[in-house]
Amino acid sequence: MQSLTSRRTSRTASRTASSGATRRSRVALLGGALAAVLATAACTGGGGGSSSPTQGASQAPVSGSVTGEITLQTWALTPKFTDYLNGVITDFQSAHPGATVKLVDQPGDGYSEKVLTQAGSGTLPDVVNLPPDIAYPLAKNGLLQDVSASDSTLDATYVKGAVDAYRYKGVTGVFGYPWYLNTDVDYWNKTMFSKCGLDPAKPPATTDELFTQAATMHQKCPDDYLMSRKPGLGDFTLAGVGVLNNDGTKFTFADDPKAVDLIQRYATAFQGKLMPSSVLNSDYLGNSTLFTQGKVAWTTGGATSLADFEKNNPSLKNNVAVTPALDIPPLYIQGISVSSKSKNLATAQAFAQFLTNAKNQEAFAHLVNIFPSTVSSQSDPFFSQDDGTAQGKAKVLANEALKTAKSLTPVEANAAMTTFLDQQIALAMKGDTTPQQALKTAQDKMNSLLANS
Amino acid sequence: MTTVPTTATSTAGRKVGRSAVPRPRRPVKAGRLFTPWLLVVPALIWLVVFSLWPSINTVFLSFTDARPLSSEAAFIGTENFRTLLADPQVWTALLNSVIYMAICLPVLTVVPLLLAVLVEKKLPGITFFRTAFYTPVIASAVVVGLIWSWMLDDRGAINGMAKSLGFVSESIPFLTDRWLLLISAISLTIWKGLGYYMIIYLAALGNIGKELHEAAALDGAGAARRFWSVTMPGVRGTMILVGILVCVSALRVFSELFILTNGTGGPGGEDNSLVMLIQQYARGFSGNLGYASALSLLLFLVTLVPMLVLARLNRKGAQ
Amino acid sequence: MSTTVADPASLAEFGRATRPRRRRAPWGEMSTREKVLRYVLLVIVLLITVGPFLWQLSTSLKGPGEDIYTATPTFIPSEPTLQNYFSVADAIPVWRYIGNSLLVAAIDVIGNILFATLAGFALARLRWRGRALVMGLFVATLVLPGESTIISQFLTIKSLGLADTLLGVALPGMIGTLNVLLMYNAFRQIPDEIDQAAVVDGANAWQRLRYVCLPAVYGTIAVVAIFAFIGAWDDFLWPLIVLQSPDKLTLTVGLQYLQGTFSNDQRLIAAGTMIAFVPIALFFGALQRYFFRGVEEGGVKG
Repeated sequence: MQSLTSRRTSRTASRTASSGATRRSRVALLGGALAAVLATAACTGGGGGSSSPTQGASQAPVSGSVTGEITLQTWALTPKFTDYLNGVITDFQSAHPGATVKLVDQPGDGYSEKVLTQAGSGTLPDVVNLPPDIAYPLAKNGLLQDVSASDSTLDATYVKGAVDAYRYKGVTGVFGYPWYLNTDVDYWNKTMFSKCGLDPAKPPATTDELFTQAATMHQKCPDDYLMSRKPGLGDFTLAGVGVLNNDGTKFTFADDPKAVDLIQRYATAFQGKLMPSSVLNSDYLGNSTLFTQGKVAWTTGGATSLADFEKNNPSLKNNVAVTPALDIPPLYIQGISVSSKSKNLATAQAFAQFLTNAKNQEAFAHLVNIFPSTVSSQSDPFFSQDDGTAQGKAKVLANEALKTAKSLTPVEANAAMTTFLDQQIALAMKGDTTPQQALKTAQDKMNSLLANS
Repeated sequence: MTTVPTTATSTAGRKVGRSAVPRPRRPVKAGRLFTPWLLVVPALIWLVVFSLWPSINTVFLSFTDARPLSSEAAFIGTENFRTLLADPQVWTALLNSVIYMAICLPVLTVVPLLLAVLVEKKLPGITFFRTAFYTPVIASAVVVGLIWSWMLDDRGAINGMAKSLGFVSESIPFLTDRWLLLISAISLTIWKGLGYYMIIYLAALGNIGKELHEAAALDGAGAARRFWSVTMPGVRGTMILVGILVCVSALRVFSELFILTNGTGGPGGEDNSLVMLIQQYARGFSGNLGYASALSLLLFLVTLVPMLVLARLNRKGAQ
Repeated sequence: MSTTVADPASLAEFGRATRPRRRRAPWGEMSTREKVLRYVLLVIVLLITVGPFLWQLSTSLKGPGEDIYTATPTFIPSEPTLQNYFSVADAIPVWRYIGNSLLVAAIDVIGNILFATLAGFALARLRWRGRALVMGLFVATLVLPGESTIISQFLTIKSLGLADTLLGVALPGMIGTLNVLLMYNAFRQIPDEIDQAAVVDGANAWQRLRYVCLPAVYGTIAVVAIFAFIGAWDDFLWPLIVLQSPDKLTLTVGLQYLQGTFSNDQRLIAAGTMIAFVPIALFFGALQRYFFRGVEEGGVKG
């Protein structure tokens, strides 16, 4: 729930720090790098990547035979899932003689830089694993294939929220096959609950209870905290605040008193010392790290997170309670997109479809705590069977949560905008400005950034 | 054998014009016209291809509203520059960068030199110490962040100690107060810089003739005296070079502030540096490249100032 | 022609004459008090600097039953094990990655030593038309906005046909502006009298570089080598951008695979970081003794 971005996005963001720090001279400046692409494109008449955008116009259906060599690029899945991926590839190749698929996996760190360079230099692989927020700008610039043009069964095959994530305002089409899904559940430190006068069997089930229990904890244990997060755009969505107007041209959250109340509530809690002061910097350690350290008693995380907590700090084993997310759970989506520049478009699209079919998705989800986006898999009893472990419970809860999960942050809000909002909210929580003023300042700035994009 | 009469006479003429006696520290004229060019050309090609040329793009872009992957960048004149001059965050970042430089410059030109003097002498185990002092330079940012938060956090080592000794009753907000956070980041920069500049000084110390030290020692000069009269003049040029490097990296500070604020720039963005702002605007596929380029250009101009001052100092000192 | 060719032997002799050969220096002797004082200071600085390194080392040695993220750092593993190192080797082809990284580092080290030395020498010790301009260019490059170069560099590398090759990774790092300036600074420190005398002897530029100036700057060459090595060895983003084939990855990129999407074991990551650290330490340890070579040895041997 921390910042309500996808697990990968937030992880990558935090690791950008590490790349920046060790390589100060070559700071991973994505946009700056693009500067060069643009200029080169301007000089050579198109550096290979940027072609005419497809706004408004649908692409023609793909035709042709499923043969030739294509490259599949996944994100941070090897070596752990090399065997699985190669298995899928082998199956595809035997079903389509003459077609070969080459697997390339990119490390988690620096993925958007890598994809951006590939897009900018005309070397985007035929089939690429892209989350919706990275696929969006590529789709807008005509670099991705509209997979709905030659596949009319998308809406029947994949769950609605997942397909919709690859539909964008201002561009016609669907720009990726939905792949695996995840969401957040809540994790609570039982030892800290017992120690600080709370009942580990009854962790907060609503946001109100969260604030009450945080106060109780602070009274008993002034040095321990329950909460360690500050709100963001996703929390506005949860509170029923309209974040963005319908045509995606203006942010509207600051005009809603509910948003002001929300910030005020966090500000009061922060000033009442219900949270560590480090939350002002979005938790420079991340609230999951604070949780692993035993410095806070609550964190949110995907269904796979518990395994990481326990691996890094084995003392947390049998010590963590799992409950569903407090509000509407966030929906995290990974998808498989097809490059519109692929030389073997038919093969690429056929493979993307094959990789994301129900059978292959289910096999993947049986290996690790993620969830298939195919409609027919939703009745797979595997995902609703609790094996009695905390991890098994996390899986069942997350699977349940996915039925209501929603993407909470609009793709229009880019890094510069969310950073600015984050800074203003921190200022308001600290008490240096009023929530009204902070939201107004943030909204004005974000709107001017939006108008320019 | 081609001599180079034109160059030789013209330079000689100029020299005579200024002073009759040939100055020391004047480079000797090259034997052949093309020799110097032959020597610098490889480096020059690299510089143009991999550094100069890409940077020219930045200048071009700063006058456009360029977006990632879009080929339709429109020329918008000086709008980006007018926006940035009116942006209070830019001025805050600029102030932070200047404070950063003002503190780092004296500390990082002097302390690493003292450190170099400390590890210069051969002692048992000295290789170990030299290597250990250099490790912060290559430590991973994640681990550096962990260690420093252990030190500076509200519940960290320093606050724990200060509280148990009764110096303070409330935790010192090292990581959330606007100025303390800046100071914390500066300390981190200094900590990382010690080993880096130390080895530059070590090499410079090695280049000073031992005989000078010996002569001074025979004259009865003590360690402190020898430091001032032998070591300092010997590393003067290096100090200026180190000074330039410190200024450049202080004005371009990014990673330390990024680590300590988790990329947020602190509450209200009050602990941003210019490079952090550039990052913020350029990052992602929907960044504002024109504006980020204008910020880059501003940073370039700002960095040029201390460089020119120090370079001038260098030339003066050499005469 | 003959006027410019000086006899190498006499130049070497000359170098020796101006720089006394090594002998026991009176100022180098230390009293016990000074020694103790020095060690105390050394240990203090050690305590300040060594934290992250210790954390990594101890984490890499911790067993699966030990907590990694503790409220107060624990540096002594209670169940020490080398298993994490073996696991790293099982998960990724460490040796191949090390080989790739070494190749890139070697190209960059040689390139920087060679070209930075030549350029630094020409700028510091020769007088020629355009020198000031070239010098200004180098200094300006130091402050150029370097954030914006990476994709442009990649397009250059790609157009040279070097995408997805280790040479392509190494190429932009082959000459560093900073290294040119370091060499320039070092050459400038050489007293002019030595050089002047060599010119009077009829030495040409190459001979002056080889027999007079070069021996005096070994220390700085060692620093340049270290900077080039570490720059090449530690770089992550550039090799990531250039390389595509799994078998060509450098170590920093390869180690990233220890941190998969659904697994995040700090022990393995720490072990990987330690493996990456060893070659740097060896290289540094081997070269740092050259810091003091220049003056002590003087001239050339034969």
